[in-house]
Amino acid sequence: MSTDTDAGTNTAAASAAPSPLLEIRDLRVKVGGQEVLRGVSLVVRSGEVHAIMGPNGSGKSTLAHVLAGRPGYEIISGSARFEGRDLFALAPEQRARAGLFLGFQYPVEIPGVNNAYLLKAAVNAARRERGQSELDAFEFLSVVRAKIKLMQIDESFLSRGVNEGFSGGEKKRNEILQMLVLEPKLALLDETDSGLDIDALKVVANGINTLRAADRAIVLVTHYQRMLDYVVPDYVHVLARGRIARSGDRTLALELEKRGYDWISEQAAA
Amino acid sequence: MRDYAAVAARLPDAAVTHEARARAMHELSRLGWPTSRDEQWRYTNLRAFERVPAFAPAVLTRAAHDTAPALELPPALPGFERLLYVDGVRAVTGAGVAAPAAGSGTVWPAEQRFGLLCDMFASDVAALRIRGSSAIEVLFVTSAAAAGAACYPRLQLALEPDSQLQLVERHLGAPDAPSLVCANVAIELGRGAQLTHYRLQQCGIHTAFTDTLSAQLADQASYSVRQVAIGAACARTSAQVQLAGRGAAFSWQAIAVGRGQQVHDTALKVDHRAPDTRTEEVFRGIADERARIAFSGHIHIAASAPGSDARQSLRGLIEGAGAEIDLRPRLEINTDEVKAQHGATTGALDENLMFYLLARGIDRATARALLKWAFLGDVLRAIELPQLRSAAEHGAAGQLPDILAIGALT
Repeated sequence: MSTDTDAGTNTAAASAAPSPLLEIRDLRVKVGGQEVLRGVSLVVRSGEVHAIMGPNGSGKSTLAHVLAGRPGYEIISGSARFEGRDLFALAPEQRARAGLFLGFQYPVEIPGVNNAYLLKAAVNAARRERGQSELDAFEFLSVVRAKIKLMQIDESFLSRGVNEGFSGGEKKRNEILQMLVLEPKLALLDETDSGLDIDALKVVANGINTLRAADRAIVLVTHYQRMLDYVVPDYVHVLARGRIARSGDRTLALELEKRGYDWISEQAAA
Repeated sequence: MRDYAAVAARLPDAAVTHEARARAMHELSRLGWPTSRDEQWRYTNLRAFERVPAFAPAVLTRAAHDTAPALELPPALPGFERLLYVDGVRAVTGAGVAAPAAGSGTVWPAEQRFGLLCDMFASDVAALRIRGSSAIEVLFVTSAAAAGAACYPRLQLALEPDSQLQLVERHLGAPDAPSLVCANVAIELGRGAQLTHYRLQQCGIHTAFTDTLSAQLADQASYSVRQVAIGAACARTSAQVQLAGRGAAFSWQAIAVGRGQQVHDTALKVDHRAPDTRTEEVFRGIADERARIAFSGHIHIAASAPGSDARQSLRGLIEGAGAEIDLRPRLEINTDEVKAQHGATTGALDENLMFYLLARGIDRATARALLKWAFLGDVLRAIELPQLRSAAEHGAAGQLPDILAIGALT
């Protein structure tokens, strides 16, 4: 892991580490004519959990969405490589099938498309990409059932419309369920903790921890450190004014909890 | 009018009296043919109706029953009595339904003047008076033998107080025939009567179709329409509903799906005349290729109707580059004590929903098809008869071939 501002954090380890899963170099992005990301660099390797923190408007969600391919962002310069492939050359659905998962901060409701249909279509799209045979209805159910239980979701939810009438907590649990079923190589979770009560937070965190593995990575985008009590990150980065202003380990998040973001924002502005 | 003079003497008095036919002809002469300058007719493809080669009913030019056995009919709905009309004439005698009674015609206003055509030319009538609880399917089928001619389906329905009816009105047609299907539906609901009215329009793709509906609701009566418009080259629905009794409730949930150069135009007027009356309108239209879809929803709440509740949700989805959708909600309120809300939106598929599906690895074509399907879902799910819902879904999916590929049908 290395960033443009954390010289020496683990450069020695990096030379011996496997090639990066995600490598972002000097990424600059405009939204609505305004430069929101102003030179972000970040390396994420398999097995790692990164937390990207920062005040509102610092560009955290923009970073997650631009990596997932949301339209409406203008990439001015820089690059992002996923397993060595140019991420920006891939359509959003290709990125997903390649193993990149975006957990939405505000998952949309799609009445009329049921959860089971969406999940099965998504799983089979990824399987086709990997050259695997598609799951039939029986195989699919056996995969999903255990994960539904883990996320403490009622099975009847499968026949309901995607997020239709779900509470905020249910929507977030559904995002994590989708992630567990899809088993991505890289999960970008955009403020998955927002709007969750403590019980729901534990369920969601448990789901995320289930996915931790040597061949995957997780990037948590969050405003608060409380999620990090349950999903303990290997690295914490603070985004301020469109740049990674500081990187460190878990203790950085605890420091932010005590001191807030102002001191980092001021340093970033200086 | 020449057509009428030529056949007037041969039109059956049992369907509509000759006096009523003559009155309708004079009224249509007085009003004249609608023009696109008239706001209420602006979006109808009037040329399609003007090009009808002959208005004389098909049944006068051949024996309708000859073709009946060759028709492919949809499977019967469990628990429903079926009345079959071929080219506007009763083909099979059902049991337990009151015999047709001569209609006196309806007083159709200018925006419903095609109703006068059916009054003039109707060859038969499905006249039903319901007591207690019933389930009836009225199947209006047009055959290839009606090519180049016209058919006039006609339904008159009276529900006695506190009776209940599930009614399926289905229009099916051979691809090439006939030139014109011109239907009238007149409904009277007595106090506390409940009618659920499923309407599927699946006429042949070269047909000009028009249906004119009038409904009167007495105290506490409830009328729910679920309409699916799929077929015909040009379809025009002109409906007027009067909530004449206190507490009467009306619900209209409809979809129209057009492709090619199809035109689907609906003009619905609801008149709240009594206190505590309710209206709910839901319309979803998808226009693909160069299709045109229009919906005018006019809700009038009279001074005599305090406590009324009126809701409109009109949404259009433009799929084709040359497609057009015109939604016109209109609330006219003449009393203070009302609840009213309306929303009308037309546009392309929601990019946020699209991105959500893409971000799950679903390909663009499938995502589009899924979202179109979801768009129609509210109304299709409101069809509570599984067999009919399936027929409506397959009909709608037939209009949007990409939906067939995603396997989402029930």
